[in-house]
Amino acid sequence: MKLVRLVKLKHKKTFERHRGENMNIAVLLKQVPDTTAKITISAGKVDESLVSKWSMSPYDEYALESGLQMKEASGGVLIAITCGPERAKKMLTDAAAVGADTLVHISDEGVKDSTHVQKLLAAAVKKFGADIVLCGKQAADTNGGSTGPGVAEILEVACVTLVSEVNYEDGKITTIRPSSMGTEKVSLNGMGVFAFDKGSSELRRPNVRGIMMAKKKVIESITSGDLGVELGISNITLDSQTPPPAKAAGQKFEGAEHVPTVVSKLRNEANVI
Amino acid sequence: MSFTIIAETNGDSLHPTTYQLISAASNVGAKSIVICPNGEAASEASKIEGVEKVISVVGDCFDIFDGSAWSAALNSVCEGKILISASPNGREIGARIAAKRNIPIIQDIVSMSEGITVTRPIYSGKAIETLTISGDAVITLRPNAFEAAALGNEAPINIVNQSADIKIAIQEAINKASERLDVTEADIIISGGRGMGSIDNFSHLEKIADIVGAAVGASRAVVDEWGMPHRMQVGQTGKTVTPSLYIAVGISGAIQHLAGMRSSKYILAINKDPDAPIFGVADYGIVSTWEEAIPALESALSELKS
Amino acid sequence: MRIMAYEALDFYDVDSLLSDEERMVRDMVRDWVDEEVIPNIEKACRDGVFPDEWRVALGEMGVLGAPLKGYGCPGLSYTAYGVICRELERGDSGLRSFASVQGSLAMYPIWDFGSEEQKNHYLPKMASGEWIGCFGLTEPDYGSNPGDMITKAEDKGDHYLLNGAKMWITNGTIAEIAVVWAKLDGVIRGFIVEKNDPGFSAPEMKGKHSLKASVTSELVFQDCKIPKDRMLPDVKGLRGPFSCLNNARFGISWGALGSAQACFDSAKDYALSRIQFNHPIASYQLVQNKLAWMLREITKGQLLAYHLALKKDSGTWIPEHISLAKMNNVDIALEIARVARDIHGANGILDEYPIMRHMANLESVKTYEGTHDIHNLIIGRHITGIQAFTREV
Repeated sequence: MKLVRLVKLKHKKTFERHRGENMNIAVLLKQVPDTTAKITISAGKVDESLVSKWSMSPYDEYALESGLQMKEASGGVLIAITCGPERAKKMLTDAAAVGADTLVHISDEGVKDSTHVQKLLAAAVKKFGADIVLCGKQAADTNGGSTGPGVAEILEVACVTLVSEVNYEDGKITTIRPSSMGTEKVSLNGMGVFAFDKGSSELRRPNVRGIMMAKKKVIESITSGDLGVELGISNITLDSQTPPPAKAAGQKFEGAEHVPTVVSKLRNEANVI
Repeated sequence: MSFTIIAETNGDSLHPTTYQLISAASNVGAKSIVICPNGEAASEASKIEGVEKVISVVGDCFDIFDGSAWSAALNSVCEGKILISASPNGREIGARIAAKRNIPIIQDIVSMSEGITVTRPIYSGKAIETLTISGDAVITLRPNAFEAAALGNEAPINIVNQSADIKIAIQEAINKASERLDVTEADIIISGGRGMGSIDNFSHLEKIADIVGAAVGASRAVVDEWGMPHRMQVGQTGKTVTPSLYIAVGISGAIQHLAGMRSSKYILAINKDPDAPIFGVADYGIVSTWEEAIPALESALSELKS
Repeated sequence: MRIMAYEALDFYDVDSLLSDEERMVRDMVRDWVDEEVIPNIEKACRDGVFPDEWRVALGEMGVLGAPLKGYGCPGLSYTAYGVICRELERGDSGLRSFASVQGSLAMYPIWDFGSEEQKNHYLPKMASGEWIGCFGLTEPDYGSNPGDMITKAEDKGDHYLLNGAKMWITNGTIAEIAVVWAKLDGVIRGFIVEKNDPGFSAPEMKGKHSLKASVTSELVFQDCKIPKDRMLPDVKGLRGPFSCLNNARFGISWGALGSAQACFDSAKDYALSRIQFNHPIASYQLVQNKLAWMLREITKGQLLAYHLALKKDSGTWIPEHISLAKMNNVDIALEIARVARDIHGANGILDEYPIMRHMANLESVKTYEGTHDIHNLIIGRHITGIQAFTREV
């Protein structure tokens, strides 16, 4: 017969408690087509209306999880910020369902390139007063990785990328990032932006209570005008979005003597090593 | 016209990507002004065709990698269109320089032509974006997507001293024994099937995995019959994987296995049976026993990586 | 990071009618089923166990007793309850059976017919998954005819004495409590039996070919003594158990669709991959006919279930509405599983594919909570006014 079991917290804590700390933790989130969703092109552009599922960009999920652990340890406030169209508001509600306190939606009207997005995000971080900024190392749509460092530059603070965890020790923020020998622990004097790679923490699931509370949470909707940011023109023009080139027919070789040929094709034709 | 190239080094010599940046510039009729952080490999850079001049930036701000210090120091000698390799450090430095100069950045391009028109993959390669750049910008180039420039030049080298605040400190190095990646995380997977003969022979696949940083997978037959861990199983009842490269060794390609890996970007199949169904989905197929093909693969890949 | 998101067939976009809350609950359960259930279900089925981690996860997610309000219960809409059942059953009918029994058959009667003390004592721990419940109505000789049950309770002054046996009881062996229906002076009453009550045992029934990842038990009462405060005060007669069954059947009308969608998804994928005579079998007309038929039935079933949920949430339903949806959706789900197995050819008999597990499960789902034939007669009685269950008219 069943023993009574206590419900256990599953996530490994990667943020240690520092007595008395109450951080304002800003997490920058981006809504992207789910990494498994089909991408359809029509009339030279990706047809967003045919994207079956929109999700929080996967590396951002790790940043959010780390932020939530930090909030649990320090008793702070987690501010989830996104710059995007109306549909991105649903992602903020999903963030609230796992514990985000303040939800900020910046309209992407007038945004033409990465500098515009970074200016808006940096302005929002300043407006809401963050002690630390977390984001994913790169977004799953552009795979660019500019946002973290770009926002840090505008805020004139350090950025550490590819981090797997963030801690607070002796008045400094410390983090772990890869190095040539494995990993290294890095510390900052003051505020910083941390761009997350996949970590070892299990991403927490929402539960019904979280979902019902999230439903009631108000999303602060702001524009570039509210932030006092002039976007202006961009010297980048999108010419087209096209399907990837059709893959060439499979090539078959008889005998192991062709291995070097195939390996160089993997590098030069396929570009995969 | 000239482009600014930020060099990437591999110890004391230039990383091959630097040669690719320079040739990409030449291709659109631009000369390269190569900036060498910390003065590394400046004389090698000066010998590359297409280089107009080399600027060696020296200072103790390069002691450790702090994106804000490096970008602050390098920015002073950057101008116009700035090309950097889309390596992790390159992306970070590029983004900061772009933000500092209030110019856009385009990451990870795979082609560049006059205009300047560039293309880059988006949505993990499910689409290609073509963009025209009509002014200053930072552009990062995907490694190995461009030809390398040749040697045969002698460009002048200027040395510039720069200092910048380092905002981070290294507390300690943690030398972790690198754990091999899980099949669901790896960008390259090498999998073995019944054709490998025995579980012991998987050590050869592990060697290759270590060379290219791949994960090792297995077919269901091998998991069920030889007791390989279930987490390595790729297929209908194992994991579904979408790596850039899937190498299937001694795997026939039954429908259950294909279900787990057919969405891989590129598939290389090695099998001694020329009629094995796996060749129907492979981009590159080598008809050979694993005993002959795997050692050859190991040495070809080692050479490539060095 | 999730690898392959499941795309449920939703041809008429019925899910676009869900509220934001219902959609978020759906995604929460769907993701959990993808990550924790699908990779482990075949082994659970082979071993014949219901993994305890799933009980814990369902409790943590807060989906047990979904439509019940107060006492630590979720307080979701019936639509949300339906969505939860559908997502669980896409994983396995046994998993959904656990949740149906816990929520609709064990928690619900306490919630609707219990005293305040009983509600406060049992419901919060059942909502959290700490205590498992089960529902004792069916007996070895009384299935479709529960009214003639012979399990009886006697009033012994300071306790009740129960004697009899129940059979086909999901969760019985692993449950902390059982809501048992027995005749007290010839009138059916509900009693809460706890697992340590003297004279009570719940042996597991072995040898099932269906619902293998679910625990099915007998409940045996041999002079079982239970305290007086264990009777459910507010209900007499078959109204008690039937109210519970209506709620469970509602969940099943949605759940069966999950199973059908899983079979359709697998059949479509297989048909597109399997090459015979140089073409994928999806290019042959007979296969397309089968897939189109599946889509048709799933779409109809979805609309039936959704509209029923609206009626449930607005209080404008009658039991016959639920009979129709349960009967139809389980019936088509079983047929879809069979046709899906056919499309998979020989591969369909392996547990590499979920098909025959769903097919075997649905045989039970078609039988429990009112057999297909009984629901047919319920509707027949509604149409004609004449009951045709028994020989006496």
